[in-house]
Amino acid sequence: MSGLELLSDQGFRLDGRRPRELRKIECKMGVFQQANGSAYIEQGNTKALATVYGPHEVTGNRSKIEHDKVLINCQYSMATFSTGERRSRSTGDRKSQEMQLHLKKTFEAAILTQLYPRSQIDIYVQILQADGGNYSACVNAATLAIIDAGIPMKDFVCASTAGFVSDTPIADISYLEESQGGPELVVALLPKSDQIVEFQVNSRLHLDNFEKVLDMAIKGCKDVHAVLTRVVKDHVGQLASKMSKT
Amino acid sequence: MASTQLSDGEKTFIIHGVLDNLRNDGRTCENYRQIEVECGVVSNTSGSSRLRLSNTEVLVGIKAEMGQPKPQSPKTGFLEFFVDFSANASPEFEGRGGNDLSEDMSTRFAEVFQTNNILDFESLCIIPGQCCWVLYIDIVLLECGGNLLDAMSLAVKAALANTRIPKVTVLRDSEGGEDIEVSDDPDGYHTLEISKVPLFVTLSKIGQKHVVDATLEEEACCSASLVVSVNSSGDFTGMVKKGSSSLSNDSIHDMLVTAKKVGIQLHKGLDTLLSEVGQSTAGRGFLVG
Amino acid sequence: MPVDKKRITGPEVTQSPLYFLEDSSGISQLVNKDGTRKDGRGENDIRPIFMKAGVVSQAQGSAYIEIANTKVICAVYGPRQVLRREDFSMTGILKCEFKFATFSCPFRRKFQPDVEEKEFALIIEQALSPAVCLHKFPKSQVDINIRVLENDGSALAASIICSSVALTDAAVEMYDIVTACTLRITPEHMLMDPSYTEETNSINCESNGVVTMGFLPSINQTSSLLQRGHLSCDKVLKALQICTEGCQRIYPLIHECIRRSVKSKYRPAEQDKEKSEEDQNPSKG
Repeated sequence: MSGLELLSDQGFRLDGRRPRELRKIECKMGVFQQANGSAYIEQGNTKALATVYGPHEVTGNRSKIEHDKVLINCQYSMATFSTGERRSRSTGDRKSQEMQLHLKKTFEAAILTQLYPRSQIDIYVQILQADGGNYSACVNAATLAIIDAGIPMKDFVCASTAGFVSDTPIADISYLEESQGGPELVVALLPKSDQIVEFQVNSRLHLDNFEKVLDMAIKGCKDVHAVLTRVVKDHVGQLASKMSKT
Repeated sequence: MASTQLSDGEKTFIIHGVLDNLRNDGRTCENYRQIEVECGVVSNTSGSSRLRLSNTEVLVGIKAEMGQPKPQSPKTGFLEFFVDFSANASPEFEGRGGNDLSEDMSTRFAEVFQTNNILDFESLCIIPGQCCWVLYIDIVLLECGGNLLDAMSLAVKAALANTRIPKVTVLRDSEGGEDIEVSDDPDGYHTLEISKVPLFVTLSKIGQKHVVDATLEEEACCSASLVVSVNSSGDFTGMVKKGSSSLSNDSIHDMLVTAKKVGIQLHKGLDTLLSEVGQSTAGRGFLVG
Repeated sequence: MPVDKKRITGPEVTQSPLYFLEDSSGISQLVNKDGTRKDGRGENDIRPIFMKAGVVSQAQGSAYIEIANTKVICAVYGPRQVLRREDFSMTGILKCEFKFATFSCPFRRKFQPDVEEKEFALIIEQALSPAVCLHKFPKSQVDINIRVLENDGSALAASIICSSVALTDAAVEMYDIVTACTLRITPEHMLMDPSYTEETNSINCESNGVVTMGFLPSINQTSSLLQRGHLSCDKVLKALQICTEGCQRIYPLIHECIRRSVKSKYRPAEQDKEKSEEDQNPSKG
């Protein structure tokens, strides 16, 4: 591996975290009024914004209508200034399209799609600043936005990543750790039922270590879940107190 | 533009309100909505700002990169504008939905920032004819609540105030080759002089009168508007008529006089705000409030 | 716009030799000491205008205009059915395509419309739409194609005039004819109908600017307005006044051109006579 030592002898990572520690998560629900649901999340320096419109009538191509379930439409974009080097476009490149597809599949598995036949739900996520774990930030933000929009889901969808450095699994890897070329596991989980809805491995990982890293990723998801639940409860609490006042 | 559908009755209500100098949200015809501005919200940019004008929300990130100067002006740096109509603002902007509007608005900005005294473009030059700073000004529209151009220009001015351009030194070796060294001192940057940066003031003709800072509903009642860019001393640096209907010369006269007055006030207001937050590098972003 | 794929392309990066000219520009040089302009006109003079309607046989309506060396041709197709079904509208739609011919300006233009051309297209669309009775043809659109063959200043104004003549030639119902006028403002002077050098020379300096105005003379309304450069409020107001006067001076010329074209269309017997007359004395401004 190149010059950078991702894990020091004392067991600390480059940004001072311990291997199993997540980055600080801060989020806010209901940031916009016009959308049906919206949320903003910061995971360390990764910042993502999600808005949800719907369920509404299917727009555009009518052949896309599904008769037994809702059509989920995702758009993933990255602000042109979100990465270190300026991007020439915010959406429509291959990576974004792939991400879009992954997000769509993830939420098709979690939303109770059979409740809204012949309708459409739009999920738009935008990365404002990218520092690793874009997919997981998007999923977590979108989950909050969907909850904000009041669309029924089987469970929260919580996503997290894990890497593997010098025989130690590390949770929630940052851009620096991502770009060193080690293995990366991306997991989206329904925490209550322990069901994995999306799973990706990038680069090579020995089967013997696989379980350890997966456990770390799943633990990460559950930690995220704890944070998200608290945020949702706070948000709903605030709404309730506002309503009781009026 | 995000769609709002109004019935004739609702439109008449708005038009009559404007005639009495009282608008739906209690403002008079020449008032802006509340403006919140914050700088330094995206840490990997040279300068950034987030601006909220009631329901309209705009995020601007400026990246300073090195590039080749344009052949027609080898001794100056230049600006590149890009407006991104994010689908977050409205489902209509999904895919290529916002492209036409975005192109239109980027052109407007580019045109207005052409006048050579707006920024010190010469200070952006590193080696004449070979290397200069290119400021990529990217505007992301996050929520669309009317009066987009004005909000964007306010955000652009705030982001320019926040922009730090690293100091560079040009080293010349004995063979006449040139090498650029960027200062690695965190305080080794210079800021931009923004006192001449203009702001857009959009005047929308509603019924017999005109209003500034129209909401989405008011924009739906408006058939012609005038976009004027005003600098802090009240001079105009560009103007264009929008919309499909015509205006009488008297109303254009009134609109321009209003634009000058409102523009000066707007600059003053923003400058006071910026003197507090302009240099900040740790914006709290969306987590506030 | 279709791109000619068979064309042998030039080198990828080239620069016009004009960039290497010594910068001899100066604002004072636009006007001579005796108050005349470089081409001998006074401040308020419009260059000679020649207009002709019905120059493209394939189109419903067309027009050609020359303002000294500025040459614009415009063809109007329609009203015809809107191609994209989704765009249902109770009123008609104007669609404008504006292009500088690649060779029309001192600097070569690209084949693909650039941002300025797209903006001009939008401005022309908006300049014409108050004048056209759009409610008369719901669900249909009128296409206006404008090509600037040579740009010697005031190209936008010439295009607006040309397209409004072409619209009348296509017998699209209108409330009024749109005239247009450009004014160049320098710290000391206001130059009507500027030439290319006058229009572009040191335009980015303080207290310099260009105002282009589209005007409906018989209902006294302004249908388009574009200002570039840095000007004070009073200067702009003054400029608008002068532009209005300019527009009103151009109006009778347009009238005359349309009258002649209608005459020749509906009284073909007189056509030959008209034609010889026209060749002898083109309308001068």
